[in-house]
Order: sequence, then C-alpha cells, then structure tokens
Amino acid sequence: MVEWLLEPLGFAFMQRGFLAAVVVGVVCALVGCYMILRGMAFLGDALGHATLPGLAMGYLLSNGDRSATFFWALGTAVFTSIVMGALSRNTKLRHDTAIGIVFAGMFALGIAIISSVRSYAVDLTHMLFGNILGVTAGDLWLVLAVSLAVLLAILLFYKELLVVSFDPVLAVTLRLPVRALDILLHVMIAVAIVASLQTVGIALVVAMLVTPAATAFLLTKRFKRMMVLAAGIAAFSGVAGLYASYYLSIASGAAIVLVCTLVFVLVYLLRSLLRPARRTETKSPAL
Amino acid sequence: MQTPAAKTPHTHSAHGPAVLLRGVDVRFDDHDALQDVSVAIEPGLRVAVVGPNGAGKSTFFNLVSGLLAPNRGEVRVHGHAPGQHLCLAYVTQASQLDWNFPVSVWDVAMMGRTGKLGLLRRPDAADRALVRASLERVGMLALAGRQVGELSGGQRQRLFIARALAQEADLLLLDEPFAGLDVTSQDQILQILDDLRSQGVTVLFATHDLELAAEKFDRILLLNHRCVAYGPPADVLTQQNLSAAFGGHLKVVDTAHGPLVVGDSGGHHHHSAEGKHG
Repeated sequence: MVEWLLEPLGFAFMQRGFLAAVVVGVVCALVGCYMILRGMAFLGDALGHATLPGLAMGYLLSNGDRSATFFWALGTAVFTSIVMGALSRNTKLRHDTAIGIVFAGMFALGIAIISSVRSYAVDLTHMLFGNILGVTAGDLWLVLAVSLAVLLAILLFYKELLVVSFDPVLAVTLRLPVRALDILLHVMIAVAIVASLQTVGIALVVAMLVTPAATAFLLTKRFKRMMVLAAGIAAFSGVAGLYASYYLSIASGAAIVLVCTLVFVLVYLLRSLLRPARRTETKSPAL
Repeated sequence: MQTPAAKTPHTHSAHGPAVLLRGVDVRFDDHDALQDVSVAIEPGLRVAVVGPNGAGKSTFFNLVSGLLAPNRGEVRVHGHAPGQHLCLAYVTQASQLDWNFPVSVWDVAMMGRTGKLGLLRRPDAADRALVRASLERVGMLALAGRQVGELSGGQRQRLFIARALAQEADLLLLDEPFAGLDVTSQDQILQILDDLRSQGVTVLFATHDLELAAEKFDRILLLNHRCVAYGPPADVLTQQNLSAAFGGHLKVVDTAHGPLVVGDSGGHHHHSAEGKHG
C-alpha cells in the first residue's frame, strides 16, 4: 500500500502535478464559496470558456511561452467579466443573458483563431482539458504566486466580502466600497480560473469552483467552516484524482473533477439518509 | 486602537432635523415615484410612513439610506448627504435576503460593526461586547449560534434591530417590518422600539396599518407619490388627507380615544386584510 502510494511521487512531474492540483484546488474552492452563495456558477463556467481567445493569442504571439499565455488568459478573463457587467447594467438584459452572449462570442473567437493555425490541435486539447503532468517548475511558481495573492485578498477582505455577499443593502448603508469589492471578487474568480487551466482546463474549471464549495455548503451552516471544508475536499480530490489518473490511465483533469463529483454525491446521499434525525434536533421553538 | 474621531466620523448638528427632504423628485423609466416631497423629521421620534401600495414608501427609504439619488431636490440626514452618514441602519423587507446563507445570528449582528471597524481590522473585545449587549437587548442572545434560516419572522426582525444597535445607528429605517408577523412578535418589536425611543433613536417605519400608526407612533408621514401630510396622528388622520392618500375608501370617526379609521364596509380598517408586501 505504502509503495503504491509512493510510486507516483518518484517522478518530478508527478510531484509538481500534486502540488499544482492541491494549491489550485484550494484557491478555486475558496473563491467558489462566494460564487455559489451569490449564484455565480454560470459566470464561472462562462469566464472559463471565454479565456480561450486569450490563450490562443498568447500562444500564437509568444510562441508557446507559458507565462505570457497565462497573462493573456488572465487579461481576457478580467476584460470579459467587465464587459458582461457593463452589458447587463447598461441594457435591460438580465445578467445571465449578458453572460451567455459574451461567453459564446468569446469562445467562438477562440476556436476561430485556433482553427486558422493547423498545428494547434494538440495544444487545443490541453487548453480545453488541462495537462497537469506537463506542469513545469516555472508554471508552478506562477500558480503559487497568484494563488497566494488570492488567499491574501480573502484574508484581508473577509468580513467585507461576507457583508457584500449576504446583504448588499447593508454594505451600502455601511459605506463599504461595494463596487470595488465586486470587482475584486471578479478578479479573484478570473485568477482562480486561469490558475486551473493546466490542472483541469477551461472546459471543466467550473467544477473546481462550484463542486467542493457546494459539498461543503451541504455539510455546515457556518461560512468559515464551509471554506475550510471546501478547501479540504478540493485538496483531497486533487490528490485522489491524480492517483486515479496515474493508475487507471484517465485524463488527469477529468479524474480530479470526477472525484469532486463523487464526494458531492456521497455527501448528498449521506445527508439525505441522516436528515430526519437532524431536523428534530435543530428545530427552532416557535415564538 | 480606535481613536475617538474614528468612532464618530460625522458630528451631528445638535439641533435641526434627523431627516430633511427639500423638493425631492424621483423619476423611474415611465413614472414619477416621488414628486416634490419636502419634509423635516425631528430627531428621536417614531414615525410611521403610511401610504397605499406603490405610493413610494420604499423609494423614500432608499433615498434616505443613500441607495438612491434624487433626480431633483436634496436629502439630508443629520445635516449630511446620506452617502456620508454612517449612523443609519436600513432593514429591508426580509424576502430580499438568502436565508440559506451559512451565517449565524452572531455573525449577522457582528456585520453591523463592519463599517466602523474599517478595512483590514478584526473585531476586538469592545466590538464583541457591543454585539453581545445588542443581542441581549432584543432577547436574541440565547439564539446567537443559530443559523439565520432557522429563525422565525419575528426573530429575524429582532436580529436586524440588534444589528442596527451594534452599528450604533441613531436612525433606523424599517420597511414593512410587521409583514407576516403574529401579534406577539409585533408587540415584542414595539417594546424594543419604545426602548430605542428613550435612547433618542429616530425610527422610520413603513406600514399599511393606519390603526397601528395612529396608536403607537409620534408622527405619521402620509405618502402617495407626494407628501400628503406629516404631523401628529390626530392632525394627519383627517378625512381630506385620507382621501388624498387612499382615495375615497376610508373614513375617519372621532372617538374618545382619538380618531378611528374605518373602511367602506363599516368595520375596522384592519391591517391583516391588506397585502403582505408593499
């Protein structure tokens, strides 16, 4: 058993893969806690897909240089979320409609760019589904740096982000910088998405954002505990997913997401079984 | 450590109204929500803001709280533009919040401290003591660990009042706080409001219920897009004013206990017959 666990760790690319999966998983899960409470799951999916033209342009212009591509993708994600916000503010369109329009347009633009360059085929797969075993030391440093920035932002603005998410009207009467905090949250989502490009890819990134956070939400009624649980579930899923990928020869991104999903299903089923007992226990006395 | 200046960021003029509106218009896309509203509300009073559905009660609150800017005219809270005033708490209708949100009673009361704490600071012992005292005053301390979704409607309203206390608000805006509450919960809240009045907190309270407004409030602001009347209940509840606000359906009968409003059918004009949400 120990040997079974240690064997993949003998490879440097696997070590880097494990580290990337855990760090990125934790960051996505923490950001995801705000997202699921504010109904931003669709935005996460859309932003992930909308980075494709940025990835393609970065790849094309920098000859495949990873960190240049990373910042192209990040810039595209931030730009897209600003356009989506402006579109729904300045027209009578609902926010999800604005997201749909911008996301599909950007994704199509990405495919158009890629299809104009034939040799892209393999790289396109990596962009869509990730290539965690191809994480270089340079990639890892970049991911660690931006992840640290997101963690720091959450730590510094924890109580403000909580107020804005729970009760925007209170945030206004308390004179919090509501607009700036919203932009901060969108930038954090964009960073988390771009950091996950190598681990799960843009097609599945929404699972990293939403599924561990949703699982944790089912398990607790306190926000801090929800964040800790979500981070734990994401880290576990990253590690377990990579083992599954190594031994069962499954694509690593898909394996990680499948473990996340499995944990969610287990928690959901266990909760449904235990629910009757729990309800009588916490029932509030009528007043 | 907090400097005294940080605790009271805006000096209140000792005299002068708590809330002042001068010639205020609010226009939405296709209609006027408020037209030429001017009113001066003295500090420390309990004021019922009364009017039919869609009369602009919520718009009035949004203006005073600074969520909304007027198209014309000026709004002052203790002499300041609403966006500059920290000591104001706005309790919106409960239906606007997500009650599954994973926060406890304690967490929500502590949110009232967020503005005064400022960015980057964490609550200290003084903040915790204030939150504890606030919850105790509204009888919610025993439920401090409970998730907000597990509270009854009355408990939620009391929690929001506790949050306003933790915020050290001296102006409290309550939008239809009695919607859907039983009489016991309403009485509990009225008692808390009595307590607040003795402390000089100004309360603006939107309601449909004329009877409640007449019995329990110092002033009535009768609103129907325009400010129909503002003053003590006995002065405001005249046949003429009620017709202007509600149309011809309500009548005023003078009784030994003061004016009584009755509907067309001759029965008491009772709030439970009204819609729950404005």
